[in-house]
Amino acid sequence: MSLDRRSFLFGAAAMPWCLGSAPWSHWLPRGDERILLVLELAGGNDGLNTVIPVDDERYQRARPTLGSVRRGAHRLDDGTALHPALVALHRRIVAGSGAVVHGVGYPDPDRSHFKSRDIWHTADPAHQRVQTDTTGWLGRAADLLARAGAGVPAAAVGGLEVPLALKALDVTVPSIARVEDFQWLSASRRGPLAKDAPAREVLEVDGADDLTRFVGDVARSGAALADELTRALQRYRPRAEYPDNPLARDLGLAAQLSVAGFGTRLVHVRMSGFDTHARQLPTHAGLLRQLDEALAAFLSDVEQHGLGDRVVVLLHSEFGRRVAENASQGTDHGAAGPTLVFGGGLNGGSHGPVPDLDDLDDGDLIATTDFRAVYADLLRWLGVDSEKVLGGQFAGVGL
Amino acid sequence: MTDPLAPYEPSVRDPFDLRKTGHLLRRAGFGASLVIRRRLARAGLDAALEFVAPALDQTPAADELLQEAISFGEIERVRAFRVWLALQSAHPLRQRMSGFWHGHFATSNQKLRDPRAMALQQATFDRLGLGRFDDLVLAMCRDPALLRWLDNDVNTSQQPNENFARELFELFTLGRGHYTERDIREAARAFSGWHVRDGRFYFARRQHDDGEKEVFGRRGPLDGDDIVRLCVGRGESARFLAARWLRFFVHPAPEPDEIEALARVYERAGRDVGATLLVLFRSRLFFSTRAFRSKVKSPADFVIGTVRSLGGRAQPTWLARVMASLGETWLEPPSVEGWRGERAWLSPASWLLRSNFVADLLARRNGGFSLSPGRLFRGLNVPEHRVRATLMLLLDGDVGEESAARLQALAARQRGFSERDACELLHAAACLPEYQLS
Repeated sequence: MSLDRRSFLFGAAAMPWCLGSAPWSHWLPRGDERILLVLELAGGNDGLNTVIPVDDERYQRARPTLGSVRRGAHRLDDGTALHPALVALHRRIVAGSGAVVHGVGYPDPDRSHFKSRDIWHTADPAHQRVQTDTTGWLGRAADLLARAGAGVPAAAVGGLEVPLALKALDVTVPSIARVEDFQWLSASRRGPLAKDAPAREVLEVDGADDLTRFVGDVARSGAALADELTRALQRYRPRAEYPDNPLARDLGLAAQLSVAGFGTRLVHVRMSGFDTHARQLPTHAGLLRQLDEALAAFLSDVEQHGLGDRVVVLLHSEFGRRVAENASQGTDHGAAGPTLVFGGGLNGGSHGPVPDLDDLDDGDLIATTDFRAVYADLLRWLGVDSEKVLGGQFAGVGL
Repeated sequence: MTDPLAPYEPSVRDPFDLRKTGHLLRRAGFGASLVIRRRLARAGLDAALEFVAPALDQTPAADELLQEAISFGEIERVRAFRVWLALQSAHPLRQRMSGFWHGHFATSNQKLRDPRAMALQQATFDRLGLGRFDDLVLAMCRDPALLRWLDNDVNTSQQPNENFARELFELFTLGRGHYTERDIREAARAFSGWHVRDGRFYFARRQHDDGEKEVFGRRGPLDGDDIVRLCVGRGESARFLAARWLRFFVHPAPEPDEIEALARVYERAGRDVGATLLVLFRSRLFFSTRAFRSKVKSPADFVIGTVRSLGGRAQPTWLARVMASLGETWLEPPSVEGWRGERAWLSPASWLLRSNFVADLLARRNGGFSLSPGRLFRGLNVPEHRVRATLMLLLDGDVGEESAARLQALAARQRGFSERDACELLHAAACLPEYQLS
């Protein structure tokens, strides 16, 4: 990045207190980084009704009512088909800029939302208890990227609670809800605090203990966000039409972040509502339709901005659902499920063996691919040492 | 061996002062005005506890307002009513504890779309939250909101649904690792037929499985009440609750001996929650330096606490919206697990929104704040005195030297002292790191 750009973003006079603070001071976006967006389908997406084994009569037997979605599903070339609502995403997979990885999970699956979500977020199936200082796989990647000079490389978009996946040791990960929130308002006059407002000096307080220092870091990051993020984001104009739903708003903000050239390399977005224990058909179809429309808009927006080969989206859920439907026309918590990956810079199509519907573990699919193998491919694509992040070597699935 | 919950004895060296009063009122309630804090600091710990949990709750007209909030059929009304209670209650601990139980039996209107059921569940927390835990769990097992939230309304003898039984063990009474998958399956059968009809609990006898079951090694035609009794009587349950209360009221990382001690207090108190908590609030541990400002304020602590500390009033609907933007939407917890809390509350974005809330409140741009901040400084003509007043109002007069110095520097630069200067000074104090901590 040129000196001019740097002084524009970080004008030393504007943020004297920022120069000495670790995370924001060496935030050096180069404008050519690869970006990974992780989209979590929270609640346990029904993988078997997302990537459907349409020709398998064991599927039809297990799902006398829910199996009706196979009519109208979009065929892939491996005997499975995508849910009827996933029109645009199917097109991308057929064109080679999308991939399905079948049967992704981990050994000894846990059916608790929280435990299983924590396992996916920490990439650590063996851990027994989540401590306050536990880090997530994206957070560890962010720490490595920061050490390589990329500054604050990760952001949560949409909610205010930073997900466990983004918990890092060294970098503060911002959580972003709306661009308009990013003015630091004055109490004594209208509008934002002036650059030289004396009230800003309270941010220079350095805490006496770890917790106070943590709060101080968050405050300084918040103020930096207010001053600089807004300005950079104003340069972005969408180049695709986003539908009007919450996921599309979050993805639109993620696109702004990516396009603004901020050096944000890891973005986490959450879509919830997938815990479909009862009357699943209309709910699930509605969710997948929103997903299809919003994600298609995001992908074409970043393509139109020339980032098609630099942005990859991973879709995952904490678990799939039971193979057999329950008596409430829904499905209960299960185990393995497919993950979907989109982006121009990867090997599209099908990866990994489709799970065998005859070989079940207490009514659940047995994972054929470890989720960390998928993570490993994506980390390598990002240029991050996957062994350091995952605590072991994983061969990858060939994405 | 020393008892971690040995009572705190005020002494000349370690008096019950404004700092301790503020700590107690923040943790056991939602803070209080400086006038009240000063009075209680002088009157002592007994008086402060009587303020937090009075023998007689004289909150005015709560039942009528509850019925009115329900009558609109809008969740925003119910949420605003809950915020109003937290602002106005004459029994602060009751509202604080209902907040705890809301996170514990975390039920969301996002799924239920039933403001009445949500309001009545909260009223049950108010009514039973400080009584015997057994009674609360039994009531929750008949609570229409919770039964529907966890799909027990479709749990039948023919098609058992395990969701309710699993969360009863994992999240409500025992915690992970203290039951088997088989215990869950059997317990799910015991709750089959515990349904909801016309907004009320309904026992669907023909959908109930009255066959033999085995849970925790006990065999018999167990029903839901038997399962509850088996759960709450286990030692793991006492430790599970003790750890949660210590994290919620004292500090985020309780030691094993502290958990054990509080579990024993709870068991000796016949599982009476209120009695257990009063022992905790009298303990040395509660007033220890390890506890003091060891927790990150939740959005409710921050928003409701700011209004109460300044001694003003503001519109509950607006306060509820602000809390939601900060990540705490009452009646819509993010998951069955409730809110994760502590450091997860604070992100750069939420810090900004917290700061902006204080700015909007003080400048009276939103929320109809009842005070003009300048009046809080009447008669204080020296910058040092105004800084001292600011710190007393918001921080019990107790901050690090550096924080006080920064505020002093700001005050020294103010010429004259207008309403705007009062806003600026209070806002700056609320941006100090200490103000984010409870």
